[in-house]
Amino acid sequence: MSNINGKVYAMNAITPMKPWKTWILRGFFFLLGHIKPLQQDLINLSFIEFARWVVLPRRQFPFLGNGQAEEELQYDYLLFFSNFNGTWNQYIDAFSAVLSKGLNLVWRWSEKFPGSVPVTSFKEYIARVQFDTDYYYTAYPHAAANDLKSAHVVQASFDKLAASAQNYTPEQFEDAYLRFVLEVQTHLGETGEAPIVF
Amino acid sequence: MSRLNETDIQGFVLRGYNLPVARYLFLHFEDAERARSLIGRLLHHVTTGQRWDGGKPQSTVNIAFTQRGLAALNLPDATLLSFPVEFQQGMKKRAGILGDSGLNSPERWDELWRGDLVHAWLGINAQSAAILDSRYAEMLELMRETGGATVLASQDAAAVVIDGKSTTREHFGFTDGFGNPDYLGVDRSSQPGQGKRMPNGSWAPLATGELLLGYADEAGELPVAPVPHILASNGTFMVYRKLHQNVATFRSYLDEYAALYGGGKEKLAAKFIGRWRDGTPLDLSPDNPDSSIAQDPNRSTNFTYGADAEGTRCPVGAHIRRVHPRDAFGFSGRLINRRRITRRGLPYGPFVAEGGPASDSEERGVIFMALNASISRQFEFVQQQWIEYGNDAHQGNDKDILMGNHGGRGKFVVQGDASRANPPLICSKLPNFVELRGGDYFFLPSITALGMIAMNLVDPR
Amino acid sequence: MPNKNGSVYGLTILSPIIDDEKVTPSHDLQIRKYLATLPTGELSPFALAPATHLARLVVMDDVIYVGMPACEEHLKSKYLVFESNCDGELDDYLAGLAASVPEQLDAIWSHCVGYPGAANRQAFIDYMKACQLETTFYFAAVNDKSVPETLRALQTQHAVSEFIADHQGMEPARLQAEFMQFVAELKLAPVPRPGSMGEPRYIKTGGRNE
Ligand code: HEM
Repeated sequence: MSNINGKVYAMNAITPMKPWKTWILRGFFFLLGHIKPLQQDLINLSFIEFARWVVLPRRQFPFLGNGQAEEELQYDYLLFFSNFNGTWNQYIDAFSAVLSKGLNLVWRWSEKFPGSVPVTSFKEYIARVQFDTDYYYTAYPHAAANDLKSAHVVQASFDKLAASAQNYTPEQFEDAYLRFVLEVQTHLGETGEAPIVF
Repeated sequence: MSRLNETDIQGFVLRGYNLPVARYLFLHFEDAERARSLIGRLLHHVTTGQRWDGGKPQSTVNIAFTQRGLAALNLPDATLLSFPVEFQQGMKKRAGILGDSGLNSPERWDELWRGDLVHAWLGINAQSAAILDSRYAEMLELMRETGGATVLASQDAAAVVIDGKSTTREHFGFTDGFGNPDYLGVDRSSQPGQGKRMPNGSWAPLATGELLLGYADEAGELPVAPVPHILASNGTFMVYRKLHQNVATFRSYLDEYAALYGGGKEKLAAKFIGRWRDGTPLDLSPDNPDSSIAQDPNRSTNFTYGADAEGTRCPVGAHIRRVHPRDAFGFSGRLINRRRITRRGLPYGPFVAEGGPASDSEERGVIFMALNASISRQFEFVQQQWIEYGNDAHQGNDKDILMGNHGGRGKFVVQGDASRANPPLICSKLPNFVELRGGDYFFLPSITALGMIAMNLVDPR
Repeated sequence: MPNKNGSVYGLTILSPIIDDEKVTPSHDLQIRKYLATLPTGELSPFALAPATHLARLVVMDDVIYVGMPACEEHLKSKYLVFESNCDGELDDYLAGLAASVPEQLDAIWSHCVGYPGAANRQAFIDYMKACQLETTFYFAAVNDKSVPETLRALQTQHAVSEFIADHQGMEPARLQAEFMQFVAELKLAPVPRPGSMGEPRYIKTGGRNE
């Protein structure tokens, strides 16, 4: 079992919701999906590679027959899967510090959610509803979300210069090369191992 | 918040003494009872946070304990086990987390720190060497009389003296001691740039609980603290690290890359730190040092990086931008307000002026002492995530140029622009300019707590 | 459709695990045991098959009781959760998995109710879709780059950084020639393998394996 592979952490959480509340939550997610500025904080936080929320109504757990017993549940469930960089504490601290309103709108419909501030009770809740990952794969364990974005910037700049390099005089090349270096200069961080989790 | 009881807080916590010489003694307790009687006697000597309106004392005395020290004093197990994990483990066991490997690994530390004998730190600061010696003699006498402790080793530290004047320079030649956080109730008046950044662009002191146990912190909670609360309140945690400076390596590296750099050697040196050698912040004066800024408390720490996202003035990886990113991570600084530390260090070893015969092997460096309410959330986080790793600064695995445990492999990008005087440069194959020689984590209790310890009255309930 | 964000697909699958008292160890434990030793690096089935950015497999034993005054309730089945962030259209992705790593898929999913095996491609795809959950909200930091594009970009970034560092202060004509040479070499360099740590390094920098 490992929640960690290289620079990413796989978090799974499941929380129960009274069924009538899931509709409100769906409404919120609908807005979030359609109003880009609402997503901006997630983008700016910049340490989430992929994340998803799945509302799982109590009667829609996959049922395949073949002797499988049908679920009989009172609650709908909210599943959350996140692929984030950095430590568990750092992630939740940051969420609580800068996204508390958004988080509350997502989880306040779940039973016993204490609110995302203060952070200690929030962490206790997450720790309780988190379940561990058995197997975790990433195609690029040495890279964090920031590294990926930087690499794509470098690639685009590089492709541009590579395409025209042979047409330049040495003087023109010198200029173009300087512009290239200036374009990539904040995107050259080394990729590699992540620090030890604590 | 209510006024702090300054008579209950050790003076070292509330202010940098600005006294030029210091000696740090490392004590070992052999017998709990005798050690407690020593602490009882020391209580009358410990310098508190009371204001020095009547004039600065000639010398100061402060004390702090390792987890092993508190155990040797026979504090109840329930209390010992309630301390934060990193304090219970001590700094050596945290080596993996801190990136203290290779040249910085515990096997290479000074003998004192390789062992597990240090129980307490006794810090003496003084106006002069003579006063220091006499206060030191007085302390030794107390130990002799009570039989409370043996001195395992002592470490001298002193402000660097240049032309007969004591300065705030460190051995690489930079002026230090500008940036330190302001806390609510601790600082009489706050200096712009020292506290936290508010959404409207002003600065406000940090919550007291970022420094002192027993007060609300920036998350609106009491910091994690041992029981009983009265043992913890008005106390704090101290990180002690003896950081050796490879001055010869630093100087030759700077020369080597200055030869490739159109901005000139002094500018390159400034790019490493984020301040010119006289302390002028690069973000306020990118082209040349300006002592009128460096010496003006309203300006010397009053800057942000938001308008310099590309790092063309102060590089994204410069030391002060790494360890105190101010507004660089957005969200009006809220991601960094719980990652601040208070620095109380002093240099040790003889200063060698630029051009003088410096070698790496001479004993010389900084005794780095940092105070914080939570070692793991504050110091360890800064050390691991911002010094030894670069993701928050969008720098991948690139480390802090000055402090990083580079092992000859790291790199540092000096961001530039299209002008001749400010070109981009990559400094690669970075050596370790600084090496760790040992240290530990200490608990710096209040005066009340010292009394409880001395009288064996710690009751975990 | 919330299952997609740009060109990335967020696949969520919950496969009920067979509950059979006669089998020891139970099917869920067998899945856990298999997953515990399944390679996560270059030999991961997700590295051998195309198009997975990140994926996880989790045995979900039960729902979680959060304490009074909530009601305590339990699932009748345990579920295998498969969460994948992948390129392209779902059918193609599932077909790619079935074609590349059928043994591993079978070793895992044969403990699940109604699993038809990967050999029957269409039945496999239909089965997976029968277990699929619709994502309510899906976030992707980068949503317009495929796995190979990403691995290529990481390789380029590293190489560019070294090139710049090694060519500072060089006169323009030579710099231009060396740059063109560099472009040619990089074009020929194979794309790093998915799941690998990127460029080979003599010494790992910082962290877990030091
Ligand atoms: C040999 C070791 C070190 C040297 C020579 C050194 C040097 C300096 C210098 C010259 C400054 C600029 C002056 C100022 O802003 O006060 C500075 C600032 C600072 N350093 Fe260091 N430093 C060392 C180690 C460390 C370590 C290990 C940390 C943290 C773990 C650290 C954290 C800071 C902080 C927080 C500031 C203030 C930044 C600000 O508020 O803008 N330093 N250091």
